[in-house]
Amino acid sequence: MTRLCEFSLRHPETIEEAARLLAAEPEVRVIAGGTALLTNLRLGLGKPASLVSLEHIPGLDKIEVSAQEVRFGAGVTLARLATVPAVRASLPALAQAALTVAGPSHRSAATLGGNLCLDTRCVYYNQNEVWRRSNGYCLKHGGEVCHVAPQGKRCHAAYSGDLAPLLLVLQAEITVTGTGGVRRMPLGQLYHDDGAQHLTLARGELVTEVSVPLPAPGMQLAYRKARVRDAIDFPLAGVAMGLRMDAGRVAELHLALTGTNSQPVLLTGTAELRGAAADAALAERVGKLVQRQASPQRTTVTTSNYRRQVATALARRLVLELAAAGAGQSRGTA
Amino acid sequence: MNEIASCASHGEGIPAPTHAAGRRQPLIDGIEKVTGRARYTTDLPATQALTGAILSSPHAHAEIVSIDVSRARALPGVRAVITGEDCDVPFGILPIARNEYPLARGKVLYWGEAVAAVAAEDEQTARAALDLIEVEYRTLPVYISAAEARAPGAVLLHANKPGNVEREVNNTFGDVDAGIAAADLVREESFHYAEVAHAQIEPDCTLAEFDPESGRLTVQSVSQVPYYVHLTISECLKMDPADVRVIKPFIGGGFGHRTETLPFEITAALLARAARGTVKLQLSRAETFTIHRARPETDIRLKIGMKKSGEITAVDAEVVQRGGASAGYGIITILYAGALLHTLYRMPAVRYRGFRVYTNTPPCGPMRGHGGVDMRHAFESLMDMMAETFGLDAFAVRRANLFVAPYQSVNELKVSTCELAACLDWVEQASGWRSRKGKLPRGRGLGVACSHFISGAAKPVHWTGEPHATVNLRLDFDGSITLLTGAADIGQGSSTLLAQIAAEVLGLELARFRVIAGDSALTPKDNGSYSSRVSLMVGNAALAAAEDLKRQLVAAAAKRLEVGVEDIECLGEAYRVIGTDRMVSYRDVVKSALEVTGPLTTRGTYTVPLDMQGGKYRGAGVGPSPAYSYAASVVEVSVDEDTGQIKVEKLWVAQDCGVAINPLAVEGQVQGSVWMGMGQALCEETEFVNGRPLRGNLLDYRVPTIVESPPIEVKIVASYEPNGPLGAKEASESSLGSIPPALAAAVAEAIGVRLPGLPLSPDRVLAALHARRREERLKSALAGAR
Repeated sequence: MTRLCEFSLRHPETIEEAARLLAAEPEVRVIAGGTALLTNLRLGLGKPASLVSLEHIPGLDKIEVSAQEVRFGAGVTLARLATVPAVRASLPALAQAALTVAGPSHRSAATLGGNLCLDTRCVYYNQNEVWRRSNGYCLKHGGEVCHVAPQGKRCHAAYSGDLAPLLLVLQAEITVTGTGGVRRMPLGQLYHDDGAQHLTLARGELVTEVSVPLPAPGMQLAYRKARVRDAIDFPLAGVAMGLRMDAGRVAELHLALTGTNSQPVLLTGTAELRGAAADAALAERVGKLVQRQASPQRTTVTTSNYRRQVATALARRLVLELAAAGAGQSRGTA
Repeated sequence: MNEIASCASHGEGIPAPTHAAGRRQPLIDGIEKVTGRARYTTDLPATQALTGAILSSPHAHAEIVSIDVSRARALPGVRAVITGEDCDVPFGILPIARNEYPLARGKVLYWGEAVAAVAAEDEQTARAALDLIEVEYRTLPVYISAAEARAPGAVLLHANKPGNVEREVNNTFGDVDAGIAAADLVREESFHYAEVAHAQIEPDCTLAEFDPESGRLTVQSVSQVPYYVHLTISECLKMDPADVRVIKPFIGGGFGHRTETLPFEITAALLARAARGTVKLQLSRAETFTIHRARPETDIRLKIGMKKSGEITAVDAEVVQRGGASAGYGIITILYAGALLHTLYRMPAVRYRGFRVYTNTPPCGPMRGHGGVDMRHAFESLMDMMAETFGLDAFAVRRANLFVAPYQSVNELKVSTCELAACLDWVEQASGWRSRKGKLPRGRGLGVACSHFISGAAKPVHWTGEPHATVNLRLDFDGSITLLTGAADIGQGSSTLLAQIAAEVLGLELARFRVIAGDSALTPKDNGSYSSRVSLMVGNAALAAAEDLKRQLVAAAAKRLEVGVEDIECLGEAYRVIGTDRMVSYRDVVKSALEVTGPLTTRGTYTVPLDMQGGKYRGAGVGPSPAYSYAASVVEVSVDEDTGQIKVEKLWVAQDCGVAINPLAVEGQVQGSVWMGMGQALCEETEFVNGRPLRGNLLDYRVPTIVESPPIEVKIVASYEPNGPLGAKEASESSLGSIPPALAAAVAEAIGVRLPGLPLSPDRVLAALHARRREERLKSALAGAR
């Protein structure tokens, strides 16, 4: 960890100006909370000539609750996400997921947009310059080889954002603004499965808004995060789930993972679980889905095998937990 | 205390004397720390300082073919570039094992070893200069494990050490074979311990000022041992030690990381002299991890013989420590692993073989609980396993092996006081052990373990013939007393403790005292803060200095009141003729005392009695101490069988530290021990991939956070140590060793599996659980087949 590289800090006052600045030069980065970016810059991961701060752009910190959805500005801090009563009332699972990120001081600066766009992580990447140089750098930054899978052609760095999986489950949409205009798309389209290039944003584009449809009545939601310490740590694996039961049977189930692949993964095959009873067999089937689609590699100091196992275990447990909570709730309202 | 307190009411206007010791005393430098006013080395004002930077080795083992610094030297703004050529004096804490250079000479022995250093006008220039230094290496085979380094034909890291073994220890005390033969049960197990690090919060830093006119050097550094830094720097720089001054600023923790002179401290001094100015050398967290000096990766094979009663008949232990690239304290560490087997329980016979091995990893060193912690885990664990065979409770097997002090061990260590029995009683009762053990729900468990530590090594590292400790007290016209000590307060509270002892003797409030600690121009030499020596040794010296001062004040009072000294009693703020109302205030006594002589300085010293300095066998210098402190801990955990996650629910620790001079600080030290023990037990470990440290940061080197901190109940049991100042002994290291084995025993109850080593990280716990389930399935399948 050394001194930051020299850069000029730009303070655009509109999104459009920010987009123009981002498009203007190749070595430029957006800075919002900076909790992840500055750490990486101190490690020598990138030497941007300028940073474009979103601080002076009005409206990026909005939280608007309507009957159909909650619209968040990308600049909403995780601390607010976790504590604003309107969010806690309408999307309690999202507030809870935000609370699992890092520690209180990080959350007071870190933002929703920043968390969604979090850089992928790897033990061969998140090291200082001296370390990486002595290791011949890596495919993600400055090198030719992925030390995790030297035979392969791609980077396996893992995506570790804690909010994306739940937002995928909630079918959130994002607004992306660039020099070419504004587009709105499902959150899933922000990512692809390549650790070196996991975001689909074009040069000059940034995420400006996140719209979260309010979950259907009866939908139980939660995020569970496996980590060694219950503060600071990134997820070794994270599981978000949405489950709606109808007359003791699965009516709707969505399941997403983080920490296991180079992108957050909304699992496929959950529709086939419709109609299943909430029993050990369901847990088993959910576990199988996770086992097949989670693809942890040796990107953390904790073994990839453990991360797959713990993702599976969390998902199996969560489906029964949510089913029970749903049953409890319907009994309560009956 | 009562007497003085009652006497105080006699005289009008005389402040009530109090006793400063035994009181819950916030640290005297605490306010400076919590307000941010305290200056740590990196905060020292040094506007003119050049920036130092180190070029480190990209290889874990290589010959240095050539180094070309010419381009770096030519860079504008660069004021000095140095390499191994600039210091040919090897250093190392032990006079018999000096094989480290501040900058590598000829070979590099671990990744990150310093190869060259620069001083430049700013950091950017310094970093640019490093990039211009060209080093050609010829790589050598890299040995990360002790086994690789010991393999036949392995390249020697140090030519004079065949097999890369720094020290092989072979010590047998008592008749081990007879003890094994007499046992009702003999069991042998193997354990593996990951290397851990101190992870002290303050990264390493040195500020070195060379004055070209006078040729003198002032070094301020993060040291626990300013005297050794002074000595080593003058040796390595070939300077008269009189031309060197070492000052210890505020220190952000040590735990053993700073118990010897570290290479960057010498490098900073070399740079300052080469640049003829002031150099600040600030290390990053990653570099601080590479300096290391912590608890080595350790393999233990342990055999115990036990009677049905639980009584141990013999112990046979073999320990292999991966020591890293240079000697440091290695010989001491491998000796402690054996020596500390003897003084916790009654040991009739012990055979110990120890191997300290050189490897291509950063040098290990002493870490809190020096040498004893891993062995303690192995021992307590095996004792539990054997007790289970006999159906003995974990408390019963420990009680069956307690000795009664005074006690002399078979390896000639003398224990004057031991209240381990009282410690066990308290944790058993407080934790509700009898009603709860074995009856907890699935996934929950309780474990108990004991540990102990010395109160300072009876034989100092450097034998000089001088006392073990010296303290000066200075009294001047203003009536304030300045306590001068070389003992380094590194956060453990030694300055507060010393002031409390002196204040207690003189019956004065702490407000009358100032402590100046660790400035070689002002304070008497002290060996430093290690081996838990300060409370007892420096405490005794402070006590003696205060008693001397009190004698002089009593004499002055007697003269003034025209009575004999035997007729005077000291009430602190007043001196009185015994049995009368005639008294003179402290201020007036001071005036009288300073007449003719001027300001007073007294000296108190402490030397360990010769009969407590140990036996005559090889390695006998490691283990003896004037006093041993004891602790017992009960840990309660819950384990999530799906994730392998352990949650520490609660801890009870009973501590025998003699008289607690500052109970508040003792509790703080025990809590710190708990956290450190939890860290090693749960999640801390270093790791190397192709010789490179993978976890050289505080995200991957996982120290427990405050979220993981359980409720901790600390009990200081009644105890009095006649060899200690005011009855006190060590209170910082003795409890640590009990935490990992107690925690592991609790986990064993919770999940029904005992893991053979540390840490009990979730992945290891889950793997053990899966293995257990496989075994159970296999067993039931076999049973079905029958």
